Amino acid sequence: MATTQLKSDAIMDLMKQHLSTDAGKELTEKIGLVYQINVAPKKLGFEEVTYIVDLKKGEVTKGKYEGGKVDATFSFKDDDFVKVATGKMNPQIAFIRGAMKIKGSLSAAQKFTPDIFPKPSKL
Amino acid sequence: MAMRDLVNGGAACAVPGSSSSSNPLGALTNALLGSSSKTQERLKEIPNATRSGPGRPQFYSQDQHLTSLPGSELDQPVLQPGAQGAEFFRGFSSVDQNGLGAAWDEVQRGGPMPPMGPMYEPVHPTFEGPPQRVLSNFLHSFVESSRGGIPFRPPPVPVLGLSQSDKQCIRDRSSIMARHFFADRGEEFINSQVNALLSSLEIDDGIQARGHIPGGFRELGNFWNESQAVTKPGLHPADGWAAEFNQHGMDHGGPDGWVQSFEQQHGVNGWATEFEQGQSQLMSNQMRNMDMQNLAAMEQTRKLAHTLSQDGNPKFQNSKFLQFVSKMSRGELIIDENQVKPGSAPGEWATEYEQQYLGPPSWADQFANEKLSHGPEQWADEFASGRGQQESAEDQWVNEFSKLNVDDWVDEFAEGPLGESSADAWANAYDEFLTERNAEKQASGVYVFSDMNPYVGHPDPMKEGQELFRKGLLSEAALALEAEVMKNPENAEGWRLLGVTHAENDDDQQAIAAMMRAHEADPSNLEVLLALGVSHTNELEQATALKYLYGWLRKHPKYGAIAPPELADSLYHADIARLFTEASQMNPEDADVHIVLGVLFNLSREFDRAMTSFQTALQLKPNDYSLWNKLGATQANSVQSADAISAYQQALDLKPNYVRAWANMGISYANQGLYQESIPYYVRALSMNPKADNAWQYLRISLSCASRQDMIEACESRNLDLLQKEFPL
Repeated sequence: MATTQLKSDAIMDLMKQHLSTDAGKELTEKIGLVYQINVAPKKLGFEEVTYIVDLKKGEVTKGKYEGGKVDATFSFKDDDFVKVATGKMNPQIAFIRGAMKIKGSLSAAQKFTPDIFPKPSKL
Repeated sequence: MAMRDLVNGGAACAVPGSSSSSNPLGALTNALLGSSSKTQERLKEIPNATRSGPGRPQFYSQDQHLTSLPGSELDQPVLQPGAQGAEFFRGFSSVDQNGLGAAWDEVQRGGPMPPMGPMYEPVHPTFEGPPQRVLSNFLHSFVESSRGGIPFRPPPVPVLGLSQSDKQCIRDRSSIMARHFFADRGEEFINSQVNALLSSLEIDDGIQARGHIPGGFRELGNFWNESQAVTKPGLHPADGWAAEFNQHGMDHGGPDGWVQSFEQQHGVNGWATEFEQGQSQLMSNQMRNMDMQNLAAMEQTRKLAHTLSQDGNPKFQNSKFLQFVSKMSRGELIIDENQVKPGSAPGEWATEYEQQYLGPPSWADQFANEKLSHGPEQWADEFASGRGQQESAEDQWVNEFSKLNVDDWVDEFAEGPLGESSADAWANAYDEFLTERNAEKQASGVYVFSDMNPYVGHPDPMKEGQELFRKGLLSEAALALEAEVMKNPENAEGWRLLGVTHAENDDDQQAIAAMMRAHEADPSNLEVLLALGVSHTNELEQATALKYLYGWLRKHPKYGAIAPPELADSLYHADIARLFTEASQMNPEDADVHIVLGVLFNLSREFDRAMTSFQTALQLKPNDYSLWNKLGATQANSVQSADAISAYQQALDLKPNYVRAWANMGISYANQGLYQESIPYYVRALSMNPKADNAWQYLRISLSCASRQDMIEACESRNLDLLQKEFPL
């Protein structure tokens, strides 16, 4: 485990497990879209790590999407992604402030809300 | 909300240095009644002020003197501490009779102004013994009743002459305390206990209800008092000013056009709400939970705006305040245009006003003359002589305003009732930005102290804090410990306990900040290192967490030997986990090693191994509530939410006030998609610590997912009373 690990990794791991639960399955039924999320450690667009949150199949993978075209792509900085996923920052505000860049279908992007991500519990 | 009042119960809640009780309720009492003595100090400086206790005869004569001054006919002979400001405003409102009020009201809302009832019930200062003692004993009996869990039967109490703000303070703090005391009891029981207490103290729930106008009023009053208190003793600046305003309101009144032009430029609530917002920012920049109070205060400030505007006094119209207002609008052009009226340069209206209204009347000139030389009229004399102080008071006020970031204004718009959605979004973004800046300040490890800490000046806040912590009164304990570390910044144990308190209160940022200070003061404290590791793990800051956990091993007297120092430069999780495993084999009975291992495996998200470690540790330390919570959180993070809930339950059985476990409960339900079920747990956590920001955010998500949009407003405004009523546990 390298010391420069992304915080988003933890959320994505949680998400991966979450999708295997009943609540996660409900999510795939409800949304049924494929999101690509690019997370940059410090600066948007630089050294990005790509995650695919596949809410069709209920999977989270790292790296490029193999199954064709994603419905929407989001770009974040690591901290901002964590803020959006944990509800600290509203996605619309993140967008307005340029903390989140969106490519792809707008209607798909609008379904991307903090409540699709499970919340980390605290030790 | 309650927490906010608890903290800022205003100047009125500060504990005087003389406080000597070591009991929390005694301290509370001292804090409350101490305010009287503190206020009395101010009485020398403030006219028309109150005496809430016996034995201050010198002020009677002052008051008598005042009755001969213009405007003082509006004053009641007896006022409460903290009432000066209220009185000031009331004085204004009585000017309404000249009919100008109607114009403003139309502008405001198209309806008549709500009647300004008497702000304070009359009090009868008949004390039996020192009031502090009486109240203290009374509150003690309340606490006693909590032990047996029997319904509280209040003994008869003499009339204590508590002011509105005292009452508010008692009410808020006692309800938080009661929630801690009776954490294992139902909401109804708590309410009945608190109501019994309050009603026997003649604290009327109706009047005290948050959001009621006097609440906001009091804040303004406090603010006014604050600014007054700073002025030098001398003549009666406040009174002179107020009286002067009143007279002019009557004599000249007329330029209500000022109101209208202001209103056109800035929206109805413009600066009034800004004032209110600034107020709340001053008091506590973390709490934005006071919608009802906001409204109340807005109402009051609006009235202030109204009455000020009726006054034709050129001094005021040309004052720094006016300049400030126009400066404010210049500073925020974008929002201004978005929000209200694009195209008109702010600042113009001031000139416009001057042209329109200052031209004809001669009184303006007259006044200007009198300002320089002493004029014939009595009020002018009075004004002129008081002017030195008055101006400093006024400057104070203006300065207070200017000190507030102009940003706050934007903030305010986000919460204000008007504005289209686009403007709202902008304002929200700004709001977020400010919060974030604050959070960054925290994240950079700077501890953020609460404002208006009633334990400041306590003779032994450390002991008090330990006691409160032991009793599970976390929010109170944090305040006491803050007072301690302010007094003794090198007290490692004080910082450590403060950190633990914040962690249990579900505030990792503050916990980290406090633990960093503890670490500075005592770099080899193992508990501090572990706590830092845990908090950074919670914040997903893996590298930092690893550093502290490794520090734990290195500083440990038994295991330090197996930790090679060169490893500290390049920390790899696998290496460290291996070393800890080694340590646990050296000494399998040491629960602490298992705990650290559990945290480490959480960090690497090897949850199964983490659970095993925590379970091993629990066999050695079955009564460690935080350990149960750690196990629960680990289970929750590896999607075993049902197990997690039973582990949290264990933790809560051991420590009913464990805010973190309550919040985690909510998370577990929410992650299972049981949003409706999660809500009461979040609300419960928040009722014990309204500063738990995470829980507010999660509550909001749960409310929207459970299709309870109707309660989102209450969540946004942090209206805990309403939420608790709606979602009892």
